[in-house]
Amino acid sequence: MRDRAVVYLKLSPLLLPFAVIFSTGIFLAFLQSLGYFLPIPVQGGLFAAYRSLFRSLWFYQDFAFTLYCAFCSALLSVSVGTALAYGIWRLPIGLQKIGVLTKIPLILPHIAVAFIVLMFFSKTGYISSFLFQAGIIESAEEFPPILFGGRGWGIILAYVYKEVPFVVLLVSSVLKKFEYARILTAQMLGASRLTVFFRVVFPFLTPVVNTSFIILFLYSFGAFDIPFLLGESHPGMLSIQVYNLYFKRDLMNRPSAMAILVVMFLFSLVFIYLYSRLAARLEREGRKL
Amino acid sequence: MKRFFLIILFFFTACGLVFGAGSPEQGEPDWLAMNFDQIERAARSTKVSFYMWGGSSIINKWIDTYVTGELKMRYEIELERVPMDASVFVNKLLTEKQAGKERGTIDLLWINGENYKNAYEASLLFGPITPLLPNYGKYVDEKTVEFDFGFPVNGYEVPYGRAQFVFEYDSARIKDPPDTFEKLLLWVKQNPGRFTYPQPPDFTGSAFIRQVFYALTGGHEQYLTGWDKELFQRKSRLLWDYFNEMKPYLWQKGKTYPKDVASLDTLFARGEVDFNMTYHQAHAQNAILTGQYKESVRTIVMRDGSIYNTHFTAIPFNAPNKPGALVTANFLLSFEAQYSKNDPANWGDFTVLDLNRLSREERELFKTLDLGQATLPVDVLAQHAVPEIRAEYLEALEKGWEEHVLRQ
Repeated sequence: MRDRAVVYLKLSPLLLPFAVIFSTGIFLAFLQSLGYFLPIPVQGGLFAAYRSLFRSLWFYQDFAFTLYCAFCSALLSVSVGTALAYGIWRLPIGLQKIGVLTKIPLILPHIAVAFIVLMFFSKTGYISSFLFQAGIIESAEEFPPILFGGRGWGIILAYVYKEVPFVVLLVSSVLKKFEYARILTAQMLGASRLTVFFRVVFPFLTPVVNTSFIILFLYSFGAFDIPFLLGESHPGMLSIQVYNLYFKRDLMNRPSAMAILVVMFLFSLVFIYLYSRLAARLEREGRKL
Repeated sequence: MKRFFLIILFFFTACGLVFGAGSPEQGEPDWLAMNFDQIERAARSTKVSFYMWGGSSIINKWIDTYVTGELKMRYEIELERVPMDASVFVNKLLTEKQAGKERGTIDLLWINGENYKNAYEASLLFGPITPLLPNYGKYVDEKTVEFDFGFPVNGYEVPYGRAQFVFEYDSARIKDPPDTFEKLLLWVKQNPGRFTYPQPPDFTGSAFIRQVFYALTGGHEQYLTGWDKELFQRKSRLLWDYFNEMKPYLWQKGKTYPKDVASLDTLFARGEVDFNMTYHQAHAQNAILTGQYKESVRTIVMRDGSIYNTHFTAIPFNAPNKPGALVTANFLLSFEAQYSKNDPANWGDFTVLDLNRLSREERELFKTLDLGQATLPVDVLAQHAVPEIRAEYLEALEKGWEEHVLRQ
């Protein structure tokens, strides 16, 4: 017990600012969503902001859309990233240096990635211009509305581009610890390439795949920068709605903005809890087999 | 569990420390009780931080060269321009107010409309300051700057400039642009995908729907007297019908809107849409001069109303250099600054001075100023000018548009 106290004490210069800043933020957001600590008094009672939120159809639509974007980008990033990491790992040692290429988006800020997507995929962007010059489309109008088409493709595209290298990085570091001999054994026993991947390698990777899925999912669920550039009007991403309510509208909307943030935070907690429970159970059952 | 409570307790104490900190500035003189000579003396050789929207390079350049140079020469004031959206610095001040920070970092703000209302209602501004400024008393017709979006100014804002809403189009592409909102709807239907507007609450997009509101519901006069919810609900239906009829013919079939006017600028410059809109009558001329627009771009106002507004400067409650800010605000109201600002090569923003109070030579200079071929003549703009709406209507329009148009 005392040892632990000493450890906490030693860590306090790091833990304290983190805990104070983080929890103050959450706490103030919660109080403001209830109508306290506001720049101007707001009428309507304690839970007015939550009540009006839960009664608005748009809130559910936006929530669903945000989940959809976050889910698609996390799932795609994790799948592509894992496959890529595996592919690179199986290359002969000399060729593995190619893997450096995949790390480029890692150093780009999210906002830069959003710009890249914007420049390439918009109706008058580079790809459209190229297709036009090559005579494949007759005018920029024919280029399909990938961005701003109402389906969130722009956001998903940007997230996948940015996050695949992150997954590659995590998965590669785990793969380094994997014994190649196990693959050889499986192959000798007649396993196909797919079987090798899914039955031998993948079970070994599930913890890291789960972790990266949670990180990426929650990040895209709450982040602001990519949706700010590539987001759509309706349904829109929740972070943008919060931004509009907080910064661009009358001060009386502030409790609503904070209420959305609180709901998003609670959802993230519940999601982490459920996902890790589910992952743990799947793992246990996997072992039984 | 005990440890948990200890941590919580600790954290609240820490919060208390953070928020309790910041002792009030001791012995700040009462600037409001002084005359301008004393203020000017106190302002000499100081530094003024001017927080302003930084989205226009031509405006930034005017501040950085002309204004900075003149202030240096006249008062040895060092002007620092800090680019920040008005809503963001209002939020910064709100936080400082809540935290009890009596000595802030901002001396002067460029502000109007909702942001002013928010700042005034939360007591974020220092004032009333206009009685202190000699140029205000000398040149400004008080009646023309009594209200800011229908909200009383009460001397807390110093008028700075005047801007009017115009549409931009390429006259080489479009020979006969629509000049009423009815014709605009027809044009959009005949040219699907070639028109859109920034999504309110964007400043320009919001102003666009306000103008349509005036035009479709019988003029602005009825909304100036006060907030009438019943009137709004009855009249606004026409507006939602108009936009919903237009929606399927908009850019991207109305599934999405440009998030702000900068995005629409890009769409227009790239030729994805045929019209741009701006709350700045000389924007097109500026863009031609800097080579962003083709020479053939022109501007137009709808005959059934084009909104204008006055924009202001103001001083935050916790400005560290109030005398410097007062001197700067006064300088911006001088004939020289207002004239230089009115030149489209510098900015093209209209003056807030009452021309009748200027000397004859000065008046002539204003009247003969070449606004550029892309800018509409002052009398054409004035003929169709309509005032801004009260903040209650503005909020209701933005909210209603989201509910009845965006989310339909």
